[in-house]
Amino acid sequence: MMTDRRDRARELLMLLGLQVLDSIERGEFPVLHIPDRRTSNIVYDPSRGRFVLGGSVQVRDARNTKHLRSFVQLMWAATFAKQLLESGRTSSLRDLYYSSEAFGIDFRNQAESNRIVTDLESLTGMPREEMGIFPDEHSSVYGPVTMRYTVTGYEGREVDLTVSPDGLPIGPALTTAEPVDTDAEIVLAVESGGMFSRLIETRAWEKYHAVLVHLGGQPPRSARRLMRRLHDVLGLPVFVFTDGDPWGMHIARVIVSGSANAAHIDRLTVHDAEWIGVTPADIRDYSLPTDPLTDADLKRLSDLSIDPRYSDPPWCDYIVEFRSLGRKAEQQAFSRYGIDFVVDTYLADKLGQ
Amino acid sequence: MSTNKLSRRPLVAMSEPTSPSTPDFMSISPAEFFYRNRQMAGFGNPSVAVFSAVREMVENALDACEDARRAPVVRVDVHSLSHDRIEVTVADNGAGIPYEHVPEAFGRVLYGSKFATRQRRGTFGLGVSMAVLYGQITTDSPVIVHTRPPASTGRRYEILIDIEKNRPVVESVTDMLRPQEGTTVTVRLKGDLRNRDRIVQYLRLTSVGSPHARLGLTIDGSEVLDIGPATRVLPTPPVVTRPHPRAADLELLRRLVSTRPTTRLRDFLVSSFQQVGRQSVSRFVQFASLSPSRPVGTLSRDELAHLSDALQKYPGFGRPDASSLSPIGQEGFVRAVEQVFSASCVKYGARRPAEWHGNPFIVEGVVATGDSFPSSDVPQLYRFANRVPLLYDAGDDALQRTVKRIDWKRYGLGPDSRFAVFLHLCSTRIPYRAAGKQSVDTVPEIEAETTRLLRSLGRALSRVVERQARARHESRRRRSLLKHLRLIAKFSASLAGIDEPPDVRPLVDGLFEASDDD
Repeated sequence: MMTDRRDRARELLMLLGLQVLDSIERGEFPVLHIPDRRTSNIVYDPSRGRFVLGGSVQVRDARNTKHLRSFVQLMWAATFAKQLLESGRTSSLRDLYYSSEAFGIDFRNQAESNRIVTDLESLTGMPREEMGIFPDEHSSVYGPVTMRYTVTGYEGREVDLTVSPDGLPIGPALTTAEPVDTDAEIVLAVESGGMFSRLIETRAWEKYHAVLVHLGGQPPRSARRLMRRLHDVLGLPVFVFTDGDPWGMHIARVIVSGSANAAHIDRLTVHDAEWIGVTPADIRDYSLPTDPLTDADLKRLSDLSIDPRYSDPPWCDYIVEFRSLGRKAEQQAFSRYGIDFVVDTYLADKLGQ
Repeated sequence: MSTNKLSRRPLVAMSEPTSPSTPDFMSISPAEFFYRNRQMAGFGNPSVAVFSAVREMVENALDACEDARRAPVVRVDVHSLSHDRIEVTVADNGAGIPYEHVPEAFGRVLYGSKFATRQRRGTFGLGVSMAVLYGQITTDSPVIVHTRPPASTGRRYEILIDIEKNRPVVESVTDMLRPQEGTTVTVRLKGDLRNRDRIVQYLRLTSVGSPHARLGLTIDGSEVLDIGPATRVLPTPPVVTRPHPRAADLELLRRLVSTRPTTRLRDFLVSSFQQVGRQSVSRFVQFASLSPSRPVGTLSRDELAHLSDALQKYPGFGRPDASSLSPIGQEGFVRAVEQVFSASCVKYGARRPAEWHGNPFIVEGVVATGDSFPSSDVPQLYRFANRVPLLYDAGDDALQRTVKRIDWKRYGLGPDSRFAVFLHLCSTRIPYRAAGKQSVDTVPEIEAETTRLLRSLGRALSRVVERQARARHESRRRRSLLKHLRLIAKFSASLAGIDEPPDVRPLVDGLFEASDDD
């Protein structure tokens, strides 16, 4: 199966090359049509249960001097991916960024090279992982699940995700591994590292029969992909626990229905994942210590208020509540009630145990 | 204006010892007066003196050639005799000097033909004799003049000035063959070569001011310059005109009256001034309430002052005749700037003749870009007055101030632009600020014309700047397209598994051919 995908990826890249060469030989400047990834071009696809890209495309025209650099960068990234596929190796986004220097491809920063890789994905309709390109940052996972590796050299080997008390990084190997078996009943994704460690140390994962995923802010796709696979293959419902602010809320929203930036990628969302909190209501109900919303928070709220993903309840209601509350609270705010409060009381309330 | 009048008045008075009203200046001779005040004429210190001697001698040489209607070939030879003795020799191909005039021309201060109302390089006829005087006093040696006028074979003179009496003393005269017509003048003076660069710059600029001339400079035996001519076209010689009535200050009036005191006022005015005819003179004498039949010699000092005042105020005279002026002209000016400064994009402009106080003047100029100019947001200014470059006292100069008042940014010039403006003011009378003749005084009429000229040059320049920017942009775009398309072709070939990427040049060429047709 892996080899099939790899062949398909190589074929797509070859077609891209042939298409550009064909233009040049016909005496025409090559033009690429890349699906537009701005939030104005995402629409909800009920059949897939997530947001997908609409019909708008961005034209990259080699005749336009402003497009030339990114055109070259895109073609170089494609050849980089082709080499990875041919040699059966993987690379991180950061590796790709540094490799570019040797070819005279001047990316201004890694954000730019990341963007080009995403362009390549939307152009070919192929997630970068299938071209051997993985994120730099790793989320972590911990819990009673057995996975079976498929990467070269580890094929068929199994790993128990409680093997390390720090959790296991969700790298290329774990992302492509097959879930085999589990004692868990839910997936609990938490935003902060502190909360993740707390839940392992206090053995909360046992109490709630949970696989813990550390998101670390807006999570990398590998974490989202793993949650999706745990959900699909093992049938585990997903609960998301973040800070009580617009940013935390949006982490949950992306897990549920997808990001604009990856709306061209399938199999990342968990359509029935649930945001347990910290919601604006929790802040009030648990009398959590709070900070006022900053200008940046308010700006974020107003951006989200016109985002199609926030047009329906309960998400549009959250925005109204945050605005009327005018305050926010971190996950750590529960420490006010002692170290075990979050495990014994809050999660018990939220997870219904 | 006032400084100018002050510096001018005693000079004229002294040149006319018969004038009854200036007895104070008679106690010393002009030669002595000028030696005492030599810094005024540019002979204040040994370094400047060498430069000034070269300048005065070259200007004389150029005027001599123009009088002879010849394309000037002027050779300057500067030679160090010792650490503080310099010998300057300037040779021209003019018509030579009639032998009978030689002693007076070099051995008497203020002798010369430069008082007529037409454009000349010098104004006072002071120059060469000042160099002779300075040389004689500092080195005790005579000026050597070797000249060959038409229909003769050449004579060599050694002349000293009797400073007290302001009279030439001919030390020796010998017949000596000079191969061609022309004059060679040699002055020995105390000086040094510290102003060497200034001399070179002066000659380069002189080549711009007189683009029909060929100029050579040799310093201590090695050739430093051989430039010009930038044009074969000789300037039309300026016509000698009578002064315009508005130029009639009291001094000029008195001088004219003294030449024919018995003439009646009406005839005096018609014959002395331009733009005054039989009819206009009647209207003028009515305006001035003077009797047209009075012999001018009988006018009192107050009446003369009144007449001068009325002449300057009367609004009915026509504009002064500009045929007495000799602008450099477009062809020569542009070519000379291109050659001498390796400049490009030289644009020429000229104003129509105008006048200040009855003196006709024309401002013309060029604006040029080139790597030899300093980079600045205000153009480097090179000033010329009656074809003579002005090298000193730029800070006081009205032309310089006018250039600075222009907002050059409006014409698309950024802070790194390398460009220069060459301004030539020609007039029968240049309003110098001081006797050193290095800066132009503030005259509203001249400033207004100069400002208009600079604006039109600025507009011409901004068109050039735009064109250059467009061309630069095109070639940058072409290079960028080629470079990036080559990479695109290379990567595409690699993706498609093809060894040879296709040539992208036809594609890029096609794009630019298409846009050339637009």
